[in-house]
Amino acid sequence: MSNILRLVLTLLFDAYSPVLVAVRVLYIIGAWLLFRKSGIASWWSLIPWAREYHMGRCAAREPEGRYLCVTSMMVTLLSVLGICVQWNPDNKTLIALSPLIVVILFSVLLAHFVYNIRVFAGFTQVYGVSRWWLVFCILDELRFIPMLVWGGSKKYQPAWKVQNLKAEMERLATHGSAAFMKEGLTVNLKDRHVKEFFQKKYLLKDIHLAIPQGHLVLLLGGSGAGKTTFLNAVNGYEKADAKVTLNGNDMYTDYKKMQYEVGFVPQQELMRGKDTVKRTLLDAAKLRLSKDIPSHDREKRVNEVMDIFGLIPVQDNLVEKLSGGQKKRLSISMEFISNPSLFILDEPDSGLDGVMARELFEHLRQIADTGKIVIVITHTPDRVIDLFDDVIVLAKDSSRTGRLAFYGSIEDARTFFGKQTMEEIVKSINQKEEGGDGLADEFVLKYAEVQNG
Amino acid sequence: MADKNGNTSARQLEVRHRSRFGQIGIYFGKFIRMFVYQSDWKVLPMAALIAGLVGFALGREFRINMEGTLTATFAVVCVCIWNGSFNSIQVVCRERGVVKREHRSGMYISSYILSHMMYQLLLCILQTVVTLIVLHLVGMKFTGSGMFTPWMVVDVGITLFLITYASDLLSLWISTLVHSTTTAMTIMPFVLIFQLIFSGGVFSIPKIVRPIEMLTISSPGLKALASQVNLNELPYSAVDKMIRMVDKVEIGGRVTLGQVLDLLQDEENPTVSDIRSITVGSRMTLREIGEDLLNNDSYADLRSQKLTDSLTVGEVVSSLMQEGVLDEVLDTEVGKTMTFGEAVDYLAADDTVSQHRDAGLDIHMTVGDAIDLIGREETMANIRKTASESMYDPDYEHTDENIIGNWLHILLFVLVFAVLSIFTLEFIDKDKR
Repeated sequence: MSNILRLVLTLLFDAYSPVLVAVRVLYIIGAWLLFRKSGIASWWSLIPWAREYHMGRCAAREPEGRYLCVTSMMVTLLSVLGICVQWNPDNKTLIALSPLIVVILFSVLLAHFVYNIRVFAGFTQVYGVSRWWLVFCILDELRFIPMLVWGGSKKYQPAWKVQNLKAEMERLATHGSAAFMKEGLTVNLKDRHVKEFFQKKYLLKDIHLAIPQGHLVLLLGGSGAGKTTFLNAVNGYEKADAKVTLNGNDMYTDYKKMQYEVGFVPQQELMRGKDTVKRTLLDAAKLRLSKDIPSHDREKRVNEVMDIFGLIPVQDNLVEKLSGGQKKRLSISMEFISNPSLFILDEPDSGLDGVMARELFEHLRQIADTGKIVIVITHTPDRVIDLFDDVIVLAKDSSRTGRLAFYGSIEDARTFFGKQTMEEIVKSINQKEEGGDGLADEFVLKYAEVQNG
Repeated sequence: MADKNGNTSARQLEVRHRSRFGQIGIYFGKFIRMFVYQSDWKVLPMAALIAGLVGFALGREFRINMEGTLTATFAVVCVCIWNGSFNSIQVVCRERGVVKREHRSGMYISSYILSHMMYQLLLCILQTVVTLIVLHLVGMKFTGSGMFTPWMVVDVGITLFLITYASDLLSLWISTLVHSTTTAMTIMPFVLIFQLIFSGGVFSIPKIVRPIEMLTISSPGLKALASQVNLNELPYSAVDKMIRMVDKVEIGGRVTLGQVLDLLQDEENPTVSDIRSITVGSRMTLREIGEDLLNNDSYADLRSQKLTDSLTVGEVVSSLMQEGVLDEVLDTEVGKTMTFGEAVDYLAADDTVSQHRDAGLDIHMTVGDAIDLIGREETMANIRKTASESMYDPDYEHTDENIIGNWLHILLFVLVFAVLSIFTLEFIDKDKR
């Protein structure tokens, strides 16, 4: 067999011996059949490496599919290098490198084996078959057997199909936008996506709303609905295809200046534990306040904020020594120090007992009453729901994209969803596999109709 | 800042916040506080401990011979890389969330990294000073004048600092790349092994992969340090150790008649001098004298006397009695009482023997015997010279250009890692959620 032919066969089939090539052809046929059943264009099975990625998608194991694609690519390239060594037995460079090639190939093959097992484990779940089928995956040469059986037999049908995202996007699209609000927050978000492995993955889509000043807003949604992504897009930290204005100023084009107008309190207490409370606040003030403010005024502001949040008695303590509630208050006061127009809090009550949580939300109500917009994510809203003005409900649709299912007053939300509590609303929009009612798409469409008029 | 109604006017948006330069001060101050509160100071006693151990183990042969100095120099480079690497491997990844939050609040990544660099610079200087003091105390002394300053210790200090600082920034970069301390600590050993294997001084690596040495901090670090201690000019005494090890190894073989006679006439050799005066008989021929020497019990002591470390009189006389060019001389009648020395001299003065001094004799001997036969001092001097010449490494040349070149090489790493750290951390807002 000529070396060129070997090289071509290796590139196409990762093998050049007739038996192994035949096995690989059966593997490709198996992939063709599986892709057809899972709603992926079958011709992808003919393209080396991409085939492995789509195998992962079919098995509802997309991340593993990505790794499988990369390891397949590496196996092929290293095999080609091996052929080059055989091709040039006198090439000292290649001969010297061959032990290295073998070591790397061994490591890559090991990883390839593990990801193959994971992807096939995904197939056993998708096709609802016994895990014993994984025995066929131990040897690369036997993998075509389950693929041909699952793909070829009508007895086996996948429980999950790769969806036609484009069609799904069209179905749930909202056409319209929120009216620009000069004094308040206007969000017109077309989409927020990330590129994963040459593919667009939509995290958020079609969110249009306008929040007036002085409102305390609850942001509701199941896990993975895109609440934090939405907040990051609103404050401009992670830009989306959107236009967001705060009191008439564009959050994106003026981001460098507007970032001081937004106070974002993260879920975790992201502060240096080995610094003192006062020093932490002084540094926060130096960072967030104008540099033209004299140091004694800055210190005065720090003392003022410490007084508001009850941190004076612990001002010289190390942050790590504070209680959970004190840490939360410190975290909030770090953002409050610059007196921002928009205040965003991601689960500020996590780890707090009912009394402390109530006290904290009352504090937030007072901040909102000074004319600021306060948006809060919480998973236990019902105990403090009387303090909120509005609720934003984000839902994960069937294509796993976060969409707006509702924005309006608390009472309107109850009417819209036909539920009395916020927790019931969340349950109704959560996916069935998450223990919810799986009504997200319905409510998204219903709200889109309302918005579209 | 918003006004009392929460409005943000255009004027208010013109508020000037701290510049990149201004923020460096905030973070530098914060890191200095961390030095006290977060126990970062512990790296100093750790540096002392590591330097002490290395100095204690390898200090004895430092600047005494080439191989001991190379090993000690390599170990010192390792200490610096170790110190630098562990200073900053966790500093960014352990507070990645905090960094992200502060970045969101207006912190510049470049200011954050530059303040880290300033703080680490201070730490590395302190570690270098501690290391040098401890090395001095345990006997690894860098005394004498330097090439750039009047004190060698200062020159060496610059090298140690640069190695430590470059390793520190390499780790800082890794710390910006990874998202958890666990990942950082998993990567660390690979980086250290890579640095040590490709340092170019101690491990022999295939020629084809040698250019990789250019990518390590250890390689220019070792070259600079070895140049400063003038490694090439130190004696290569491993040869003496090696010869001592193989001195008793039997090699057998052939020596020339001339070499044997010279040995037996060497009056400076105390053994030879003693036995030359022994009367060995008044036989008719030298062969009879020789046979008597080899067989008569009264000469047993004489036979066992050592002419070299292992070669005995008996063995030498036996080799002379072998059949060959001496046959005719050995059968010559001498007819008078002779001492051993006179018999040897008689033999050596014979015309036939003189003509056949290069004739080979089979003899049982060791490496030491062979060297003694050739002349120990001269042979050892030759071996040492050849070994030193073969060990000469132009990379360790004691010149200004060489040292500065290596310093610049390390400084390049400092720059590259600083830029990479800033560049990598700029992507912090792209962290996968």
